Amino acid sequence: MKPVYLVGRALACTLGNSLDTALERLHSPVAPAQTPASGVSEGTLPYQRISGNATEGGWDARARSLIADVAQAAGAAQAHAGALFIAMSCQDGDAAEKMQRDMDFHALSGRIGEWLDWRGPVYLCSTACTSGIQALLGACDWLQAGLGTEALVLGVELDNRLTLPGFEALQLLSSTGSKPLGLHRDGLVLGEAVAALRLSSGCEAPWKLLGGANVVDGVQPTTASADAVTQMCRVALANCGLEATEVDLIKVQAAGSPVNDAAEAEGLRAAFAPVPALVSLKPLLGHCMGASGVAEIALLLECLEKGHWPRYPERADPALEVQLAQQAPANLRRILASILGFGGSHAAVVLERSAV
Amino acid sequence: MKTYRIQSRCIAQPVPAGWREQLARRLGGRPRRLGLWAELGLYGALECLERSKEQVLPAHAGLILSSRHGPARAVRSALDQTRDGLPLPLTFLQTQPSQLLAALSAQLQWRGDARFICHPDPLALVQLAMAIAHRLEGGLLMGWVDELDVESSVWLRLQPVAHQEAGWQKAGDFATLTRDCSHIRLGPDGLEVLS
Repeated sequence: MKPVYLVGRALACTLGNSLDTALERLHSPVAPAQTPASGVSEGTLPYQRISGNATEGGWDARARSLIADVAQAAGAAQAHAGALFIAMSCQDGDAAEKMQRDMDFHALSGRIGEWLDWRGPVYLCSTACTSGIQALLGACDWLQAGLGTEALVLGVELDNRLTLPGFEALQLLSSTGSKPLGLHRDGLVLGEAVAALRLSSGCEAPWKLLGGANVVDGVQPTTASADAVTQMCRVALANCGLEATEVDLIKVQAAGSPVNDAAEAEGLRAAFAPVPALVSLKPLLGHCMGASGVAEIALLLECLEKGHWPRYPERADPALEVQLAQQAPANLRRILASILGFGGSHAAVVLERSAV
Repeated sequence: MKTYRIQSRCIAQPVPAGWREQLARRLGGRPRRLGLWAELGLYGALECLERSKEQVLPAHAGLILSSRHGPARAVRSALDQTRDGLPLPLTFLQTQPSQLLAALSAQLQWRGDARFICHPDPLALVQLAMAIAHRLEGGLLMGWVDELDVESSVWLRLQPVAHQEAGWQKAGDFATLTRDCSHIRLGPDGLEVLS
């Protein structure tokens, strides 16, 4: 199997429209925008919106501008003969905005490919929250099989007519804030992100994508399963030829859901003894759904390389028996980055930093 | 790269009259809480597995689902509902393609690698599927499901087999896979088939 390297990354999110800006605001994060609740909840709901991006031209114009900028910053020009993997769960926001009747994934991926003048194949992955990790896994498989040497994984999650109302209807949203693994966690805070990770099997870089795992458990189609979390970790490690003790850091899903955070913690405790250091980016970014896997990895790697670490002022829930680390582990070499989502989907990738 | 035998096919394009009754008989009752798109997917996947004489999907098999329009009718309903406030929770869930993956996992008594990936050229998707299936000892169940225009549910069950020596040809179009060929593999120049 050919090794796959992460050779470029970029992010536009609530912290700013570049990774540099996001790092500058890491310790003075942007207060989430407040969106009026539509009925089930009262008052307003926090929403981590991307600011400073004109919306006059509608969803398509905004998406095009953000996607073009982020792809360029990740070095898309060096990859556009390779494969483009688009990860999104927000459907076609333009079609929804215009109340067009027929959702069309092919038209959507074709449109994004045209915006980027993409010449290679364009795949679209849409499995709710796990879309980004699934796109990374697909791109890794595509490169390891030798179908090309370059790929761009693009996570796109932008406000649209369905996602926020849908989550509000399901009563999954917090009205106070994102508190991953926290004692007072009370739901999700959704966010917007456009993120890109450029992969290559032809150029070396400090971070390598070793592989991962994807486990769908249909017994609980709307919640995470502890058993499936454990299986996801074990299969990911086996696919990468690693033991549990060789993982130094886990980027958790931990979206602040009372039920899912507990299932995730239980699953991790069964897969790792002891559980390695844990990190969450959701208090900073919100839960960026289909883009979350790509966005969180992009920001995490930037934090690690520039010596930054998120702050977690919220009190951890002692019942979970795990908590977020207050600093980066020393001599960090391997990260397991996971996302859990609707459809009983549990997905993870393993990243490895070159030995220093 | 592995060689795969096309163990069975369900080419329901369009689905036959009475397919919902057939599905209900197979499940022992009408499926609840699934939209039309997910029911179409279940129908074709179960039909395909029955033709391969498998009761359940093996633990180390993978599942890849694709569609042009996805659960488009559920999206229409959810958008209509948002005009007046919030969508109904069940309607919103039905807009997510991953709900069909969960339904398939439950019905096939299987927990494993299931993905929803779209590409307008089915052969390009099969090519990616071959790369994904490299680690999966139980092969693949692969389907294309659509509810707009023509209600369709097209499925292939691919089983890894020992390498076949001669007679390989470059795959010309998707019809080759759905009609004629017996084996498929990822060759140095792309997808190859054996008739």
